[in-house]
Amino acid sequence: VKILVCIKQTPDSTVRVKVGSDGRSIDAAGVTWAISAYDEYAVELALEHKDRDKESTVTVVSLGPTRSRDSLRQALAMGADDAVLITGGSAESLPPLAVARALAKVVEEAKPDLVLCGRQASDDEQGFVGPALAEVLGWPHVPTVTKFAAADGGLDAWKEIEGGHEVWRASGPVVLTVQKSEKEPRYPSLPGIMKAKKKEIPEKEPASLGIDLAAPVIEIVKMEPPPARGAGKIIKDGDAKAAAAQLAKLLRDEAKVL
Amino acid sequence: VIAPTAGAGALVLAALAALGFGAFFWRSYQLYRYIRLGRDEDRTRHLGRRIRDELVVYLGQRKLLKRPYVIRGAAHALIFWGFLVITYGTADLLLSGIAGWRMPGADSGLFVWTVDLFAVAVLASVLLALYRRAFVRPPRMHIALDGYVILGLISLLMLSLLVFENAGVAAGVLAPGQTAPPLATFLRLRYPGDLSFTVFAGAWWVHVTTVLAFAAYLPQSKHLHIVTTLPNVFFRSQRPRGALDLIDKIEERESFGAGSVRDLSWKQLLDGYTCTECGRCSDQCPALATGKPLDPQKIVLDVRDQLLHEGARLAAASAERGTPPARWKETKTEELWACTTCAACLEACPVTIEHIDKIVDMRRWLAMNEGDVPAEAQRALTNIERAGNPWGQPPDTRADWAKGLEVPTFAEHPESEYLYFVGCAASFDGRNQKVARAVVAVLRAAGVRFAILGTEETCNGDPARRIGNEYLWQTQARHNIETFTRYGVRKIVASCPHCFNTIANEYPQLGATYEVLHVQQLVQRLVADGRLALRDGAEREVVAYHDPCYLGRHNGIYDAPRDLLDAVPGVQRVEIAPHHRERGFCCGAGGGRMWMEEKVGQRVNHRRIEQLMAIEQKASSVASGCPFCLIMLEEGVGAKGVPVKPVDVMELIAARVERPEVATA
Repeated sequence: VKILVCIKQTPDSTVRVKVGSDGRSIDAAGVTWAISAYDEYAVELALEHKDRDKESTVTVVSLGPTRSRDSLRQALAMGADDAVLITGGSAESLPPLAVARALAKVVEEAKPDLVLCGRQASDDEQGFVGPALAEVLGWPHVPTVTKFAAADGGLDAWKEIEGGHEVWRASGPVVLTVQKSEKEPRYPSLPGIMKAKKKEIPEKEPASLGIDLAAPVIEIVKMEPPPARGAGKIIKDGDAKAAAAQLAKLLRDEAKVL
Repeated sequence: VIAPTAGAGALVLAALAALGFGAFFWRSYQLYRYIRLGRDEDRTRHLGRRIRDELVVYLGQRKLLKRPYVIRGAAHALIFWGFLVITYGTADLLLSGIAGWRMPGADSGLFVWTVDLFAVAVLASVLLALYRRAFVRPPRMHIALDGYVILGLISLLMLSLLVFENAGVAAGVLAPGQTAPPLATFLRLRYPGDLSFTVFAGAWWVHVTTVLAFAAYLPQSKHLHIVTTLPNVFFRSQRPRGALDLIDKIEERESFGAGSVRDLSWKQLLDGYTCTECGRCSDQCPALATGKPLDPQKIVLDVRDQLLHEGARLAAASAERGTPPARWKETKTEELWACTTCAACLEACPVTIEHIDKIVDMRRWLAMNEGDVPAEAQRALTNIERAGNPWGQPPDTRADWAKGLEVPTFAEHPESEYLYFVGCAASFDGRNQKVARAVVAVLRAAGVRFAILGTEETCNGDPARRIGNEYLWQTQARHNIETFTRYGVRKIVASCPHCFNTIANEYPQLGATYEVLHVQQLVQRLVADGRLALRDGAEREVVAYHDPCYLGRHNGIYDAPRDLLDAVPGVQRVEIAPHHRERGFCCGAGGGRMWMEEKVGQRVNHRRIEQLMAIEQKASSVASGCPFCLIMLEEGVGAKGVPVKPVDVMELIAARVERPEVATA
C-alpha cells in the first residue's frame, strides 16, 4: 500500500502562545514548532500499517513556511520513506481550499492508494483541508478514523462514533482524516534521526503547481487570550456545616452557577 | 613434612598437576577470548587508586564487612585469608612432591602456626556456610549444586590437611627443624603399627589431588570469583559513581548501547564471571523489594550465561563474518525500566560489579536504536526536547516561581559569584517552588551573591540520560554549557541532587568543569563560617532525614545535611534506621522513574513511609534534599495518611533566618 500523509506544522502544545502586536495573529518569537497533534497520529497510523506490511511506503507532505521542513524530518525520523515540501511564494497565506488544491497536485503525481490527514489542525482547528482534499480529488472521505486495514478488494476504516465504531469499506483510493492512532506516536530512534537528516526533501512552490490559488477566504479579525483566572477563594471559618452554607451562598450569589 | 612421593610418585603427581592446571588454563583462555568479544574500554588510568582498591577491597575484604552482613562477611574474610596462606603451603607441597624444592619459610614456626590456625578457622567457617545453605536458606541466595561442591571441596582440603599433619607427626616425617602444627596434633592419635605412615600418605595424596581437581573445576564454577575478583576490582570504574559512561562521537555511530554481548565492554563481561551469586545486590534493591520484575543479580547472570552460551560460536568467527550475536534472551525490558539507578546494588556488591552501567547500556539500546521506551517516559523525553523540561510546562514560565522575590538573572548581574541552577522541579512543581524560595531566603540571609538563568535555564538532561537517550542528554548539556560560558559562570549551586550530580560529575565529560555544590554543602559552610545566624523560636520538631540516592550513595554527601539539621535550633534529628546513610532506601523516582507509572507491586515510596513509621522515636517531619524525594514523600504520606510532614532541609533553615518572610511570600 502506498500511503501519503499530509501534515501541518503548528506551535507545540507546551508553548504558551501570545497574541502578536497586530492583535490578529500569534507572536511567533520563541515558539517551538511541532507536527500538529492529529497529523502526528496520522503519521503513526501509517507507520503502524508499514510495520505490519513491509511493502508499504509512507510519503509525508507539508505546506507552509520553510521551517515546516523540520516537521517533515521528524516524520522521516519516525520512519516515513520520503517527504515533499510545498513552500515559498504564497505558501504562508494560502486560503484552505487552495491548500487542498496544492496537496491534490502532489497526490496526483505520487498516486498513493490512500491519503491520511489529521482530523483538524491544532492551531486554527478548522478541520477543512482533509475533506476539501477529498473533494478536489473526487475521492471518498472517512472522518475520525482510529484504525484501518486492507480488506477484500479495498480497505476497511474504523470510524469513531459515540460509544463505538463503524467500519467503512473503500474499494478505491480514499482520504481518511485521523482521530487517533492505535499506539502513541512513536519516539524516533537515533539512527532514524541521523538518516532523516541526510534525506533530500524536494520543494515546490504553489505558483508552479498550476492551480487556482484564489479561493474564498475567512479572515481573522481579532485574537485575544482567555481572561486571566482570578485567585481562588478558600473558605476557612466555621465547621463543615457553616462552610457548606457559605459555599452554597457564594456559588449562588457570586459565581451564579446555582 | 617430607612428601610421600618416592619413586614414581613424583611423576604421577607431575602428571596430575599438568592435568589440573592444564584444564584450568585452557578454560581460562576460552573465558578470556569470550570477554574480548566485548567492546574496548580503557580502564587503566588512576593506577594509584586501583592499587589502593586492590589492597582495601580485595585483600582487606572491605566491601564484605558491611552492614548488615558483618558476621557472615567475617566468616568469608577468614576463608579468604586462610586460602591465601594455605595456597602458599599448597605450592610448597606440590613443589616438594614433584621436584623436592621448598617454598622459603614453609617450615618456619610462624608459617606452620598460621596455616594450622587458618585450617581450623576455614573449616569452622565452611561448616557455618554449609549450615546456612542447607538449613537457613536465605531467600536472596541462589542455592545450587555448585555451592555445595565448592564447600565440599574446601572441607575435604582442610580435613585431609589436618589428618595428614596429624598422622605425619606420628609417623615422624617432619622435615628437620620443622615445628609440629599445634592444632592438627592437638589430638595425639595412636596409629597401630605402620598405619601412621599409610594414613599420612593417603591423606596427603587426597589433599594434593583435591587441590588439582579444584583447579580444574574452578573456571567451570562461580567460585572463579577467587581469581576474577582480582582484575575486577583492579579495573573497576574510577569515574565518579554518579557519572554514566559517555558515548563519544555519538553522531557518527550507527548503533547505541547494548543489544547483545558484543555491545557491552569487556569489563561488563568480566563482571559476569566475577559474580558469586551472593545476592546482596538483590537484597538491597528497592525495586525487587517492592515486587517489581527487576533483580540486579539476574541482569549480571543473564549477561554471563548468554556469554557462556554464545561465546564459543562468536569467538570462532570474526565480528564481520559469522552469525551476529543474539539479542538478550533472558532479560526483559520491564526489568530494565524498573530500575531507579539508586546504586544500592553497587554499594552492596562485595566484588565491585557495575549493575547500573549494564542496565543503562541496555536502556540506551532500547531508547536510541529501537525507539522502544515506555509511553510515559517517551512523553518526558519529548517534553524535554520541545519545552526543555520533562513536565512539558511552558518554558517561558520557568522563572515564575521567583515572582515578587526579585531574584537577579545572570544577564542582569553577570558579576554574581554563584549561579543558582534551579532545575525543572523547583521551577515548575508547586511544592518544590517553595523550596526554591527557601533557598533564596537562606542564601540572601548569608549575603551570598548569586543569580539565576531565568528562562535561559533548561533541563540538565539527567532524566534523558538515565532513560537511555544519551543524545538528548548531550544536546541539553551542551545547551546549558553554552549558556554558562556566555555568562562566565564558574561556581554553581543546585538544590536538586540530579542537577548537581550531572553538572558536577557528567558535564566534565564534555569538557566543562565548574565548582559545583549542592545547596546543603554551601549552607553547611556558611553556618560553619558564622555567616548564617539561625534564631530559635519556631516550634520543636523531631526530624527524620531521608538520604536522596544522588546525594548519598552517588556522591557521598551524608554529613552535610546531618550537620545542618543538628545546627538548626529546635530540631532533633533522628535516623530512619537501618535504612539510612549507605543503606538509604530510594524514594522510587530516580533513573527517570519520576515520569513513569508504577503499576506493579507496592509503590517504592509507600515502602519508604512504612520504614519511616517503624522507627522507634516518632518523627514529626521527614527532611530531604531532593525535589523528587519530596514529591514522593508527599505522595506517600498523603496516601498512607500518616501525621508526618515532608520538608526540604532548606525550608527548616529558611524558617529560622532573619527575614523568613521571603520564604513564605
